[in-house]
Amino acid sequence: MNYARMKFYCDEERCIECNGCTVACAEAHELPVGISRRKVVTLNEGVFGKEFSTSVACMHCTDAPCEQVCPVDCFYIREDGIVLHDKEKCIGCGYCLYACPFGAPQFPRDGAFGTKGVMDKCTMCAGGPEETNSAKERELYGQNRIAEGKVPICAAMCSTKALIVGDEQEVSKIYRTRVASRGKGVQGAPYGWDKAYK
Amino acid sequence: MANTWGYGAMTNSLGDIQNAKAIIIFGANPAVNHPVGFGHFLKAKERNNAQIIVVDPRMTKTAAKADYFAQIRPGTDIPFMYGMLHIIFKNGWEDKNFINDRVYGVEDIKKEAKKWTPKKVADVTGVSEELLMQITRVYAKSTPGTLIWAMGLTQHSIGSSNTRMAPILQLCLGNMGVEGGGCNILRGHDNVQGATDMCCLSHTLPGYYGLKDGSWKYFAKSWGVDYEWLKGRFKSKKWMNAKGFTLAKWYSGVLAGKPGEDKIDNAGTNLKALFVMGNGITSIAQQAKVKEALDNLELIVLADPFVNEAAILTDKKDDVFILPAATQFESSGSVTATNRSAQWRYKVVEPMYESKPDHEIMFEFAKRLGFYDEYTKGMLIKENKKSFKFPEDATDEIARIIKTIGLTGWTSKRLKFHTDNWHLFDEVSLRGIGPVKGEYYGLPWPVWTETHSGSPILYDINRSVKEGGMGFRNRFGLKHDGTNLLAGKNSAPKDSANPDGYPEITAKNIEEVLGIKLTASEKKRIGKNWKVDTSNIIAQKCMERGIAPYGNAKARAKVWTFPDKIPMHREPIHSPRSDLVKKYPTYKDKKNHYRVDTKYKSKQNEKDWSKEFPVNLITGRLVNMNGAGLENRASKYLAALTPEMFCDINPNLAANHGIRNGDMMWIHSPEGTKIKVKAKFSYSVDEDRVFIPFHFAGHFQGEDRSAMYPEGTKPYAVGESANTVTNYGYDIITQLPETKGGLCRIEKA
Amino acid sequence: MKKFMFLFIATIFLTTVAYATDSQIWDSMRLTNILEYGKENSLHLGPLFVKLQSQYFYKIFFGILIGVPFVFFLHYLIVGPKVFSHDGVKIYAFSVFKRIIHLLAVIAFVIIVPTGLMIAFGKYFGGGTIIEYARHLHGLATILFSIAVIPMFLFWFKDMLPTFDDIKWMFILGGYLSKEKKKIPAGKFNAGQKMWFWVATLGGIVMIITGAFMYLQDFDYGIAKFFGISQIDLLRATAITHNVLAFVVMALFFTHIYMSLFAIKGAVQSMITGYKEEEEVKYLHSTWYKKLKKEKKI
Repeated sequence: MNYARMKFYCDEERCIECNGCTVACAEAHELPVGISRRKVVTLNEGVFGKEFSTSVACMHCTDAPCEQVCPVDCFYIREDGIVLHDKEKCIGCGYCLYACPFGAPQFPRDGAFGTKGVMDKCTMCAGGPEETNSAKERELYGQNRIAEGKVPICAAMCSTKALIVGDEQEVSKIYRTRVASRGKGVQGAPYGWDKAYK
Repeated sequence: MANTWGYGAMTNSLGDIQNAKAIIIFGANPAVNHPVGFGHFLKAKERNNAQIIVVDPRMTKTAAKADYFAQIRPGTDIPFMYGMLHIIFKNGWEDKNFINDRVYGVEDIKKEAKKWTPKKVADVTGVSEELLMQITRVYAKSTPGTLIWAMGLTQHSIGSSNTRMAPILQLCLGNMGVEGGGCNILRGHDNVQGATDMCCLSHTLPGYYGLKDGSWKYFAKSWGVDYEWLKGRFKSKKWMNAKGFTLAKWYSGVLAGKPGEDKIDNAGTNLKALFVMGNGITSIAQQAKVKEALDNLELIVLADPFVNEAAILTDKKDDVFILPAATQFESSGSVTATNRSAQWRYKVVEPMYESKPDHEIMFEFAKRLGFYDEYTKGMLIKENKKSFKFPEDATDEIARIIKTIGLTGWTSKRLKFHTDNWHLFDEVSLRGIGPVKGEYYGLPWPVWTETHSGSPILYDINRSVKEGGMGFRNRFGLKHDGTNLLAGKNSAPKDSANPDGYPEITAKNIEEVLGIKLTASEKKRIGKNWKVDTSNIIAQKCMERGIAPYGNAKARAKVWTFPDKIPMHREPIHSPRSDLVKKYPTYKDKKNHYRVDTKYKSKQNEKDWSKEFPVNLITGRLVNMNGAGLENRASKYLAALTPEMFCDINPNLAANHGIRNGDMMWIHSPEGTKIKVKAKFSYSVDEDRVFIPFHFAGHFQGEDRSAMYPEGTKPYAVGESANTVTNYGYDIITQLPETKGGLCRIEKA
Repeated sequence: MKKFMFLFIATIFLTTVAYATDSQIWDSMRLTNILEYGKENSLHLGPLFVKLQSQYFYKIFFGILIGVPFVFFLHYLIVGPKVFSHDGVKIYAFSVFKRIIHLLAVIAFVIIVPTGLMIAFGKYFGGGTIIEYARHLHGLATILFSIAVIPMFLFWFKDMLPTFDDIKWMFILGGYLSKEKKKIPAGKFNAGQKMWFWVATLGGIVMIITGAFMYLQDFDYGIAKFFGISQIDLLRATAITHNVLAFVVMALFFTHIYMSLFAIKGAVQSMITGYKEEEEVKYLHSTWYKKLKKEKKI
């Protein structure tokens, strides 16, 4: 059986730093203020011709380095490439953050005495190891849209459709079409793809 | 714009922008203000190789996606556009045929454009000669080109000249009435265009009918209300035809008589009561004056879903009432988009707790004030009913009455059908398929008859009137200075019975212009002219003969009723260039400008403002906030993106004042007010200007007033209001505040 | 006095856990960090950390955990412990203060080392709450250790400075490989003890600092900037350092336990009563014995 391989792609020619993705994700998963699973980062702000923005979150890498370094082995990678973790196994040590090229793991300060809690990161709206669409899953990981056949909410909310997510074949097709119609200013590969996907 | 060619609304549509080859944006920031709509711009760039040119005082998010960027000094758009015209005329890039057939007054424009050499433009605007020439060449040669603007162009003391200059530029290039061209003003909220069309303003009846007796009589008849009764509601007849106060300067109505305040002409009395319905009071310039006015009112009523800032801004303790109004999700009705299309908004949830939808609040007031029957009669007339169904009957009433902008086709049934079937329409051309074939999405007005298809592109003579084509409106008479104001030969819309220019249709000239004969019964029933024709005969006949009811005239570059017949550059009231103030002074003071004696020259010459206040003050929007920020600052995640009021300041300017990134700083205004905000380093502004967003409220001149919120209603983010320091300055025609061209002085806090 | 000073500083340090509003890891650095990761001229700390942590660290920990005690077990069987008579004069070696500080350090280490190992091998314990508490205990015990380490460093600093005896000691490996009783060249502390001292104090301070960095994670005290690297690279470097130093600390810790509890019968008494046996000092710390004799202390 041929499974889809899910990938994120953010087109920085279209990203206008509207932060729709950031707010949609926070709203849908009811995240505590301060944790932004998805964030829009702008470089060279204010400099004409150089400013660009892109939306970053967990890239759900092949051979995910976070999964490799975890001392309690709390990560699991789905058939479709989505990298998830078990918050009940996680001890909040931070190794996954050090391993990640994209800075995706975050640690809310909600442990005792404001200590670092367990890791939280983008789940590509695919929930966690708990029973699908159960209350517990929703509380710990947020919505499970993939199980309902829906697109992750960040891409669904993107104003200019800069952020797209889906099976790699579909996403690559869209990327190629855009590059071809632009005809100029092409970068070698979508941002971060060379680090994330083999 | 209405004074140039008849209608003052966006001429094309957002989707149509994908057809453009060049997009020039003056004083607008669609990447921030229309993020979803901006997708069309990006698609145009991607698929059509469209060149995007941004002319703005700061490097906005839109400019980041642009191909050319001119960082212009605030308030100098007219010299820039004249500079462009100078180059266009010099090189013969104008569309001569178009100008000949459809534009009046270009000779005077040519004369004025000759004076604006690129060198002069560079001196006044700060844009280099090379860049001006580059931009002009790209824009003039890549047609069709569309011109976009928003508040950056309109909110100046010469705003009404700016908004004439832009159409003139497009007219000279022949970019009007074509796909991918047009003058596209991007309106903000989803129903700002609708509110404008209903003229919730003090100088006209709904549908831009004005305040003349003829209009009042037409409305009296259409509403089924006695004209004399309407007249009796005013203190005397004079006031029935007089313009009222504007949102910009209502405070003068309260404060007049105090030393230093502008005088008013308000039938010998000051304003006593204020009823605010869904308006951010802190979005008006001169906040300190607004506060003073609030303190001096006898009664304040605020109807909003969130607590209006006025409630905490004022020190008034008694007679301040807050009414909970329902949000857009708790009510339904038609909304008009920026491209003149209407959509039907469906109620999603019943009004929560004690909040009431706006119409219910108004009906309840009408009942208690004794005119409920007269107020609601209009909704019963069409089908001669005993009781009305809101909002469908209100929509149908609008369709029945408003003919000036051709809302006849906007029955609630049609609008609902379009919204229910929005997947059947094309995003670029707005054309429908299947059950909505032959119609355009949302029936962009004018929709002359109940079956008309809608007009997605204004002034397009390549379509027949039946399909939404039309020439320019004949609104300004038939002749001026001996020149015929009607359009030239063979410049009528396609398939027209009359191929040349023709006047607006009246009962008197209909037979001649259309080449038809009316029956006796038709002659009896027909209205005086197309605007007041209750029988709809004129519209019907016009559709049959391919004639636009409002005429086919030339657009005019010269508006002989305005103080500046052709747009002229005048420095902002508070200008950083005192040398240019002498060369391009502002207007003379205007008496009884919407009832207030408004200062212009006397303010500009009060002193050399640029000495004490050398920094340009720019205000603008943030993507996560809306208007006065009442709703958004009460939303957790939106407020978390920008939790504090800040000021974008160039690092060099900041360093010269000893301000570090994240330090608090004072911004002082020429009116003596000040705000305390956080400095945020940014290269998007030059060293002679600072940028502040206007979405915050809750602090006032360094004082935190948010403790005054009723319990549980305080928003997550509070801060200083930008309008505490926006300057005194108003447009000469519309009295729009000059928030986009002011001065300030900065200081480390 | 020194104790209070340090306690005071320690509390200040911990309370200024003021997280800068600008995250050092998750703001605009995110993009530059992505670009840097694995780039030609970058420090390659990211891929290095992943490789070390996923493939090598746990093996080395395991090796030391099993290997070092095993070696000493063999030593005990083959060479056996050194026994000295308890009938001679008792020589006063450690004051009450020193013993108390050492006790604090003992308690701290006894918590730190096992919990550290629990973290390293977390997956074999099934992860979750136990290991999370182990991590928190690891951190709490560090506080205890921080209180002990500065005084310990200061009061034993002079005694632990290297001397020529230490070179001679190294050559014969402290005489622990033979059953003979002969005079070993060593001062109050022999080279082995000195090694342990430096690793435990200086190394211990480095462990405290690296551990604190990993605990605080997103702070801005200018440290990353000082080294000219990004915050995330600083964290990666600290993680690697912490683990590598842990090998050394662990190995020497096991050694110290073996030496003080098993290899020399009754040695632990010096830390309880403060007195050492005369014979033990005469043979194992001969230079010190000679000095004491000269000063007529015995």
